[in-house]
Amino acid sequence: MSDFIVFKDVSKFYGEVLGVNRVDLHIPPGITSLVGPNGSGKTTLMNLMTGLVHPGSGTITVRGLSPFQPEKLMRILGYATQYDAAPRGVTGYDFVVAGLLLYGYAPGEAERRARQAIETVSMTQAADRKVAAYSKGMRQRIRLAQAIAHEPSVLVLDEPLNGLDPLVRAETIALFRNYAAEGRHVILSSHVLQEVDVFSDQVILIANGMIVAEGEIKNVREEIHEHPSQFLLHCQNPSRVASLLFEETHITEVKLDPEGRGVLVLTRHRDAFSEAVQRIALSGVEIDGVVPTDENVDALYEYLIGGGR
Amino acid sequence: MNELAQVWTIARLEIGRAFFSRRALWVYLLALFPAVIFIGHGVDVTYKKQRWSARGATPANVLKEIANGASDEEVLGKAGQPVFDRQWNRRRHRGESEELEDVSRRTIAYFDGKRLVQFDFEGGKLTRTSQRPLLTFDEDRAAFAAVFQYFYLRLAIFFGCLGIFINLFRGEMLDKSLHFWFLAPVRREILLLGKYCAGLIASVVIFGTGTIIAFTAMLAFQDSAEMWSYWQADGAYHITWYVIAAALGCVGYGSVFVAAGLLLRNPIIPAVVMLLWESINGFLPNVLQKLSVLHYLQSICPVAAPMDANFPPALRMLLSPAAPTAAWQSIGGLLCVTVVVLLVASRAVRRLEINYGTD
Repeated sequence: MSDFIVFKDVSKFYGEVLGVNRVDLHIPPGITSLVGPNGSGKTTLMNLMTGLVHPGSGTITVRGLSPFQPEKLMRILGYATQYDAAPRGVTGYDFVVAGLLLYGYAPGEAERRARQAIETVSMTQAADRKVAAYSKGMRQRIRLAQAIAHEPSVLVLDEPLNGLDPLVRAETIALFRNYAAEGRHVILSSHVLQEVDVFSDQVILIANGMIVAEGEIKNVREEIHEHPSQFLLHCQNPSRVASLLFEETHITEVKLDPEGRGVLVLTRHRDAFSEAVQRIALSGVEIDGVVPTDENVDALYEYLIGGGR
Repeated sequence: MNELAQVWTIARLEIGRAFFSRRALWVYLLALFPAVIFIGHGVDVTYKKQRWSARGATPANVLKEIANGASDEEVLGKAGQPVFDRQWNRRRHRGESEELEDVSRRTIAYFDGKRLVQFDFEGGKLTRTSQRPLLTFDEDRAAFAAVFQYFYLRLAIFFGCLGIFINLFRGEMLDKSLHFWFLAPVRREILLLGKYCAGLIASVVIFGTGTIIAFTAMLAFQDSAEMWSYWQADGAYHITWYVIAAALGCVGYGSVFVAAGLLLRNPIIPAVVMLLWESINGFLPNVLQKLSVLHYLQSICPVAAPMDANFPPALRMLLSPAAPTAAWQSIGGLLCVTVVVLLVASRAVRRLEINYGTD
């Protein structure tokens, strides 16, 4: 049985609306992040690999199993979807137990596993409350508990870090790392690259239903470093700051902010830019603050889709 | 875990929702409506009986002795205080002439403990005597047969199953919770079967209980000797077959509506089409009649439903049953129809995708 998740020339349309188009992927075990703006096709890819939607063309296998065989696939796969709803009126604990009963665990074993999974996501205190009364972050965690309760080899998580507080977030990331270290797949999605690039083994960048970049995170990161970043320097004397910045070799563009807040700077080297700002400030020119203005993934996609121009 | 155990697990998890779906609470009103009718009727009769008996029942032999031609005063003298006494005048032509005359009319009624005996007077003389039992067992049994076949099978179970079974998949799609089931290690056909079983258990319990309560209500107010003799002769047999008919109604209609919930988004469309199909079943050729749930259900009802001669012809045509089939053939036929419909539904559930955005 293959250890990979494989997409072969997969396309999916919702009527006339494109979901994903001609996707070819070979995803090895480890943490893989699907990153893209909202509506780019991340959830469609996850739904395709879990059989919640069916491809219009192409084939998908998850560790050698077809998504058309849920009775086999779901034994090795856990999916925490983005859908908030749980069956009406159930408590978090019941929600996880119900899922385990469908796996065929005896009630006692299902309860033990449910308690363990709920503890892993730090939800023990709230386990007996109705899911409907949970906050967004708690729902996120109980879905995660349900997805990991049967200890799957493939864990698929749609925006799993959304709404989590920093402590739980760190614990959740540690959980992903443990899973990956055991040779399992952890596939997660995010629309913020910076959120996932520190712990992902590989990243898949997707935009408009197409794979824009794919590979080990260090390679993609290098590509990202080539991407010029834009900053806004809040200052009292924009013309003076602009002239000083022009002397720096890594600065590709400097212009006065049309709204009069300061200077807009485009640089290919963030660290060098940071040092330059420090030097200017120490020379006595007043700088009130530095704000990145394009630190969203959309800007990166525009860059990647545009071929690195 | 074998698939039968999975079916049972799914049914167990789903059954609460099937019983208490917030979209289908009105099903209970439909199920209990006949019981309410018969309890209401029984209470009304009991109340009248108590009220009239309190005035003192008039011995039947005294009332029998009163003959036509007797004056109202004579009747009152012999029989005493009536349970009701109404007087009025009627204006009419005198013979063939144009001249008008007023004729006094009076109706006096007595209660002999079981029957209401009514005396009609014209011009002070008794012209007509009529009597009717306060409660007629035969009439009530016929009324039960009519309510069961014309209302319960055709409408209550039909719409009740619509409410319960459509929600099994369509309701979860609307609640955005169907993915929970699709992410379980269960074949989609097994999921369909499990959910169908949950709907079936709920609907059979609701409508089976509704049938038993209505039947009990119909019996409860009858004369106890009459009731026991009926119960020992045909009663147990009748109620058994009424409950079987109700349960088979749930089996048949349930399969149709679970399939409709998978194939169509709007439940009104299958409901209207199915209702029309079931209604015109009596006019269809023999082969097509076999594709109707009602055709089989009517054939296993233990008492033929009466057809009132005063019904409009169009309604009589719609209500008239199709050619009956033997009971065991009916059950077999209905189960065959159900299996075919569930096979169609299983194809649909295999193709079903989670796409909450478009629902």
